[in-house]
Amino acid sequence: MANITLTSSDGVDVTVERTVADRSVLIKNMLEDLGETGESIPIPNVNEAVLKKVIEWCDHHKNDPPSAGDDDDNRRKTTDIDEWDQKFMQVDQEMLFEVILAANYLDIKALLDVGCKTVANMIKGKSPEEIRKTFNIQNDFTPEEEDQIRRENEWAEDR
Amino acid sequence: MSTSKNTVAPTSKVEDCAAMTHDKHGQPVGTNDKAESLTELGQRNVAPFLAKYNPRQHGTARSEDGTPVPRPANAGYCYRHQPDSKCRRQADEQSKRQIQQELDTLPQDDQQGIAHVWSLFSAAPAKQRKLMLQGVLAQCCFPQLSFISASVRELIRIDFLSALPPELSFKILRYLDTGSLCRAAQVSHRWKMLADDDVVWHRMCEQHIRRKCNKCGWGLPLLDRKRLREAKREIELRASNWGNESSGEPTQGAPNGTCSVVELPNTGSKRKVDTSTDDQDDGCAMIKRHCVSPAYRPEPDDEYYKTRYRPWKDVYRDRFVVGLNWKHRRCSIKTFRGHTDSVMCLQFEDNILMTGSYDATIKIWDMETGEELRTLRGHSAGVRCLQFDDTKLITGSLDRSIRVWNWRTGECISRYNGHSDAVIALHFDSTLLASASVDHTVKVWNFKDKSTFVLQHPAAVNAVKIDTPSRTVLTACDDGAARLWDLDTKECLRTFKNHIGPVQQVIPLPREIELGDDLADCENDHSGEGPVDIISPLLKHANLASPTSAFGSTFEQDKDRREPPQYVITSGIDATIRLWETNSGRCLRTFFGHLEGIWALSGDTLRIASGGSDRMVKIWDPRLPSCQETYEGHSAAVNCIGLSDSRFITGSDDYHVRMYDFRA
Repeated sequence: MANITLTSSDGVDVTVERTVADRSVLIKNMLEDLGETGESIPIPNVNEAVLKKVIEWCDHHKNDPPSAGDDDDNRRKTTDIDEWDQKFMQVDQEMLFEVILAANYLDIKALLDVGCKTVANMIKGKSPEEIRKTFNIQNDFTPEEEDQIRRENEWAEDR
Repeated sequence: MSTSKNTVAPTSKVEDCAAMTHDKHGQPVGTNDKAESLTELGQRNVAPFLAKYNPRQHGTARSEDGTPVPRPANAGYCYRHQPDSKCRRQADEQSKRQIQQELDTLPQDDQQGIAHVWSLFSAAPAKQRKLMLQGVLAQCCFPQLSFISASVRELIRIDFLSALPPELSFKILRYLDTGSLCRAAQVSHRWKMLADDDVVWHRMCEQHIRRKCNKCGWGLPLLDRKRLREAKREIELRASNWGNESSGEPTQGAPNGTCSVVELPNTGSKRKVDTSTDDQDDGCAMIKRHCVSPAYRPEPDDEYYKTRYRPWKDVYRDRFVVGLNWKHRRCSIKTFRGHTDSVMCLQFEDNILMTGSYDATIKIWDMETGEELRTLRGHSAGVRCLQFDDTKLITGSLDRSIRVWNWRTGECISRYNGHSDAVIALHFDSTLLASASVDHTVKVWNFKDKSTFVLQHPAAVNAVKIDTPSRTVLTACDDGAARLWDLDTKECLRTFKNHIGPVQQVIPLPREIELGDDLADCENDHSGEGPVDIISPLLKHANLASPTSAFGSTFEQDKDRREPPQYVITSGIDATIRLWETNSGRCLRTFFGHLEGIWALSGDTLRIASGGSDRMVKIWDPRLPSCQETYEGHSAAVNCIGLSDSRFITGSDDYHVRMYDFRA
C-alpha cells in the first residue's frame, strides 16, 4: 500500500506506510474522506519527536487485530501491559504525557490504553507522599484536612 | 568538542566555555578584559535580542513608526507550556533560592555574564531555545552530561491528573484498585476531586459488586445490577463533561454529592421474590441512583420522593466493608429460639425470616429485633420445606401435604394432597410449583391452568429447583444422581452422577457467575456414566462451528428460551460438594472438608455455604478447591442454610436458628 506523509507541529515531514497510519482512527477517517491526494497531512498538535514515537508504536502494532472496541468490557480490564509496550513506555514523563495526548488526539485507543495503564502503574501501591514525590505535586492540604481525609479513606486498607 | 578530553575541575571548564565564546567574537582572552567584554557583549548583543523577543519587559515594543510589533503570543513556549496553561512547569522557590545563593558567591562580572546567558535563554522562542541547548550540550563533557541527565530525571515530573483533560485522568484512575484510589484521594485537592468522583466509583461498583473481579480476585456483596446500569449512561456523560462543569476554580469536594440519588430503604417493597439464592439484595442496599443535572427535573415519580444524594464511593465503601468482614470473619451472631424440634428449612428476605420445623410449625421472625412475629400451625407432622414471596407462603410436610398460606394474616389458604409420601422439597417461580417427595416423584403444578405432571424418579427425591428462563428443573435423588429435566418435553436432559449415596441438595449457580478458565480440566472424575463423555468433545466442536445448543434444538429455535444455568452444585450424604458443568455434564470439582453428610447448601456469585451433620458451616469459593472458612456453633446437625450478600442463617437439630451478620 502507498506511503503517506504526515507533517508534525514543528514542520517536519514524516513518511509512513498507510497500514501504519491507519492505526490512527483520525488519520484513517481523514484518508477515507479525502482520498489519497498525495499531499501531506498536518498533525498540528504533535511534534516530531512524539510523532516518531507514536509511529514506532503503530508500526509494531500494525498487524494487530482490530480491537473489540467496546469499552464496556471492563471485566477483563487489568493494568497488565505486554512486554514490548512496557519497554516502549520506558520514557521520561514528558514523553509519556505527550504520547498519551497524541494517542488521544489521533484516536489510537490501544496506545491510549497502554499510556494510561503506565501512569496507573506509577500510582499503584504508593502512599500519598510517594505519589506526590513521583509527580512533583504540592500537598495543598492543611494538616487538619490531611488528617481528616486520611481517616475518611482508612476503610480501604485491608486490615 | 575539545572539552570532552578535559580532566580539570569543572570551574575551569566554565572558563573554557567563556573563552570559546570570546574567541568566536575575536575578543582577547584576559581576566581583566573579560568583565569589560562581557558587559560590552551584553549591551551589543543581549539587549537587542531581549528587546526583540521580550518587548513587554524591555519597553521597546514599538517599531520606528510607533505601531506595536506583531509578535506571536508567548512564543517562548511550546503549545502546552503557555504561561496561562496550568501545567507549566515552574521551578520551585527552594531551587531558585539555591541558585541565587550560589550565584552570589561568584565575582560581580561573572554574575552578570551568567545572568545575561539566562536572560537570553529566557527571552528566546522555542526554536532558538532548542538551538541554544544543542549548543550547550555539544560543549558538555561527560560529567556535565551526567549532571544534566540526573537533574532532568528529577525535573521531568508531571502532575498527570491535573495536566491531562479530565476524561483521560478518569481513564487512568479507573485502572486503580480500591486502596490505590483511596490513597490517590489523599494527594492534593485536585486529586481528591478526581479520585472521589462518581465517574470512578460507579465503575468500581460495576466491576466488583456481585461478582469476583478478575483484577483483584474478590467481589463485593450484591448491589442491584439494574440500578448500576441505569446510572451508567449518565455517569459516562458526566465523565465527558467534567471539565466544563468544574474547570477554572475547582469547587472543592462539591462535584461528588451533586450527582447521585439514593432511595431510602423501601419498607413496603413490591419486589418479587425469585429463588432463594439469587437476587437477594438486602434491605439496606436498596439504592436507586440517578444523575440530576441542574437543568433536568425528575418526573414526579414515586421513587424520587424517597431519595437523597449519596456518592458512589460511599456505596462502594459500605459494600467493601461487608466484604472485608466476611474475609476477616467479623460478624455478629444472633440466635432465634422457639422451635421445639429440629429446624429443617428456612428462608429470609429483607427483614423477614421464616423457619419450618419437625415441631410441625412455621415461625416468622423479625431479623432485626429477633422477635417471633407469628407461628403458623396446621401441618400434622414436621415441616420439611418452605418458600415465601410478598404475598404467599408455601410449605411441604411429612404429613404428605402442601399448604399455601397468607403469611401476613396467618391464614391457610389452600392445601394440596398430591403426594403419597412426605414432601421433602418444593420450589415455585411465577406460575409453576415443583414439589419433591419420598414417593419417588417430582410433581410440577401449574397455578395458571391448574395442570400437573409428574417426573418419575428411581428413589426418594430430596431437592428441586425450577429454572424459568430455560424451562428446566433440577432434582436431587436418593439414587445418587442429580438430574436436569426439560419441563416442555418432560425428559431428562442430563444426569449428574458421581456422589456416593443419596444427593441431598442441588442448586444452580447464578448465570452471571464467572468461574474463568482456572476450572477447565481441573478435575475429570466423571465416572464415565455413558454418553456424556463421548458427546462433549463433539459438542464443543459443534459449538465452534455454529451456535448449536448442547441441550437440543428447542433451545435454539425458541428465542425466549435460555440455556440452562452453566454451573450446578450438589451436596450429598458422602460429605462432598460437587460442581458440575451442565453443558458437558462433567463434574468439574469436588469439594472435600465436611466430615459427615451435607444437608444444607446455598450459593451466590461470591460464595457457597454448606452445613451438615458434623454441625459445621463451611464457606467455599467455587474457584478454589479448599474450604475458606468454617463456622461452628450449633450443638447438633445443621439442616438448612440461607445465604445473602451480608448474612447467613442456619437451622439445626439443636432446635435453634443462628444468624451470622457481616454488615458493618
